[in-house]
Amino acid sequence: MRVDPNISAILNTGIQNTQQSLNTSVEQLASGQRVALPSDDPAAAAANLESLATSANVDRYTRNGDAVLSQIQMADSALSSVIGELNQAVTLGVQGADGSMNSADRASIATQVQSILSGVVSQANTTFNGISLFAGTAGVANAFVADSSSANGYTYQGNSTINAATIGSNLQISVNIPGDQIFVNPNGNVLGSLQQLVTALNSGTTSEIGAAVAEVNTAIANVSQQRVIYAGTVKQIESQESFLSQESVSLTAQQQSLTGIDLATAVTNMTQAQIAHSAVLAAAAKVLPTSLLDYLK
Amino acid sequence: MIGLNGTLSIAAEALGADTAGLEVANNNIANANTPGYSRQIVSLSSAASVQNGTTVDEGVSYEGFSSVRDAVLSLAVNDATSSQGSLTAQSTLLTQVNAAFSSTTSGVGASLSTLFSDLSGLSTDPSDSSARQTVLQDANQLVSQFHQAASGLSSAASAANQQVSACVSEINGLTRQIADLNGQLASSADGSQDGGSLQDQRDALTTRLAQLVGVASIQTQGSPTLTAANGSPLVIGSTSYPLQVTTGSDGNVHVQDAEGNDITGALSGGTLGGVITVRDSTLPGISAQLNSLASQFATAMNNAQASGYDLNGTAGSAMFSLPAAGSAASGISVALTNASAIAISSDGSTDSSGNLQAFLSVQSDALPNGATPAEGYANLVGDIGSAGSQVSNQLTAATASLQQLTTQQDSESGVSIDEETTNLIRYQQAYAAAAKVISTVNDLYTTLMNINLGGG
Repeated sequence: MRVDPNISAILNTGIQNTQQSLNTSVEQLASGQRVALPSDDPAAAAANLESLATSANVDRYTRNGDAVLSQIQMADSALSSVIGELNQAVTLGVQGADGSMNSADRASIATQVQSILSGVVSQANTTFNGISLFAGTAGVANAFVADSSSANGYTYQGNSTINAATIGSNLQISVNIPGDQIFVNPNGNVLGSLQQLVTALNSGTTSEIGAAVAEVNTAIANVSQQRVIYAGTVKQIESQESFLSQESVSLTAQQQSLTGIDLATAVTNMTQAQIAHSAVLAAAAKVLPTSLLDYLK
Repeated sequence: MIGLNGTLSIAAEALGADTAGLEVANNNIANANTPGYSRQIVSLSSAASVQNGTTVDEGVSYEGFSSVRDAVLSLAVNDATSSQGSLTAQSTLLTQVNAAFSSTTSGVGASLSTLFSDLSGLSTDPSDSSARQTVLQDANQLVSQFHQAASGLSSAASAANQQVSACVSEINGLTRQIADLNGQLASSADGSQDGGSLQDQRDALTTRLAQLVGVASIQTQGSPTLTAANGSPLVIGSTSYPLQVTTGSDGNVHVQDAEGNDITGALSGGTLGGVITVRDSTLPGISAQLNSLASQFATAMNNAQASGYDLNGTAGSAMFSLPAAGSAASGISVALTNASAIAISSDGSTDSSGNLQAFLSVQSDALPNGATPAEGYANLVGDIGSAGSQVSNQLTAATASLQQLTTQQDSESGVSIDEETTNLIRYQQAYAAAAKVISTVNDLYTTLMNINLGGG
């Protein structure tokens, strides 16, 4: 059988093919990516997009967690100082209940308790990034404002709504405790008991002062109970964040393995392509100039 | 009994035959690199004579020369050229589409992630006006990414339309040339003879035509016929039938045969067939997927808006608006103008983020098309990728098969310089030998003339 005399066409195809694989391997090494176009590996490209979407979520959950964490820590430290002040009020109340005290002494103690009350109210009006932490979701500047007509001396401006922040694909945590639940709770009324103590110190009997001190103690118990909720949330956020940081690492690894190159494989591929290309070029250089005419001299 | 005169005329015939052989070899060498040229060979035969036991054959008879070609093989090459041309055109267009959807850091997918991420960020501070503004910007960004994706697809379609027009005008040029050559071939040969280099030219034009559009060829006595895949005539004998282009009601360029019938859907193979396949079947599928993603996503987000209250305590109004007709992806727009109108609150209170869950479930729940928005976009990109990789794999196979067939055709018809060099030497030696015969006969005559009959 006659063979194709047009050897240059065959060599051209060979040279183009090896050049192509060399280019591809160099491109992959340079970019670090195996999948430059979706058509390079459709399944990996699609999976990579989904993985990237999950990554974006994980990043956001982490940022949400951080934001909630500082908000809750702020609220918690406010409550912690409220408890400190309440304890001080109890000490003052116990002093005032002592029978040896005269009314002038009691009035001076009452002034101190009154200033404790103002301090507690300012803690209750704590804001974080412009949000009143203990006003529910009402979006008011102060959760509590002075109101002489109220039994507690203050009116709650907020509402009882609790906001939830998303810190996981199906994980939501409460970010606030409405102020009425903490400061004017019937089962431990912080503002009411302090007000009661002031009144008792100013004009009440020893036993009335004692009753008011007992109320303040109940209020302390209530606030401590609310702090437990915050502590639980903080714990939840911290464990979720450590999970998220692990997930973020494994997602990055997943993306790398989906569309990135394996360096060893890529280098091997490039070396192979290089060798194949040189081989074809060498063959072309040997074969192309040969003709019968060379020998007819 | 044979005379010296007879010997002389045999030698003269031999000289003629050898000269013809040298000429053909020369012509082959001259055309060694002419595209489409088929090598030619001399036909020689031993001249017939009456065999009566005493006479020798009367020399060589030169019967002309002919091209070496395999008609079946050229048909196979044309078919392979058609399918390779079609796949090349498809691959070029789909690579363009793939490039438009290749980014992992921008595009619809990334914008969806950013939008949901920033929405979810509102859960920690629902009334923060800068955070709300960011969400509104994300929505605008997403809309422009939808527009860009849609225009990536429509620019591929308009590139396809340009190619259709360009192909058709080149096809018409080729069919006219082929028809001319058919006319010349018909007048120079009686149809049974090989057409030589005229036929080579016609075959080369036919192969080029096959690269542009799939053709069927019917060899009939006197009037060879070329038709498109559906049977619409392109060339019959020395008449060509030009195709026409019109813009259809769908805005695409359609192809009509010479009689005005729309044959767009019936064409297959070649650049024209490939371009039409991508434009009329691949791209519309992808567009439909993108449009359904855009419209279902917009509807779901609007529903989420409707279930909540904005910063002013009024019920949420639509976030996106969709075009009444036409492509949702290219017509989608953001309906909200003010960031305070994002309906995050579930009860109308300013700092409530209770309705946020409704938005976030758009991200995590399946849309009516069965996938979440992120999955939907990933599937879309996956489908675009599959279409591209399928075509490029087929192209590799088609190129290899065309290469093989071409090699086979070349091994039949290609000019080998070595072979022609050998022929040159062969005919040169034969020529020298025939010349020697003439000089020998001349010597014999001289000898004869010099016989001294009278003696002395």
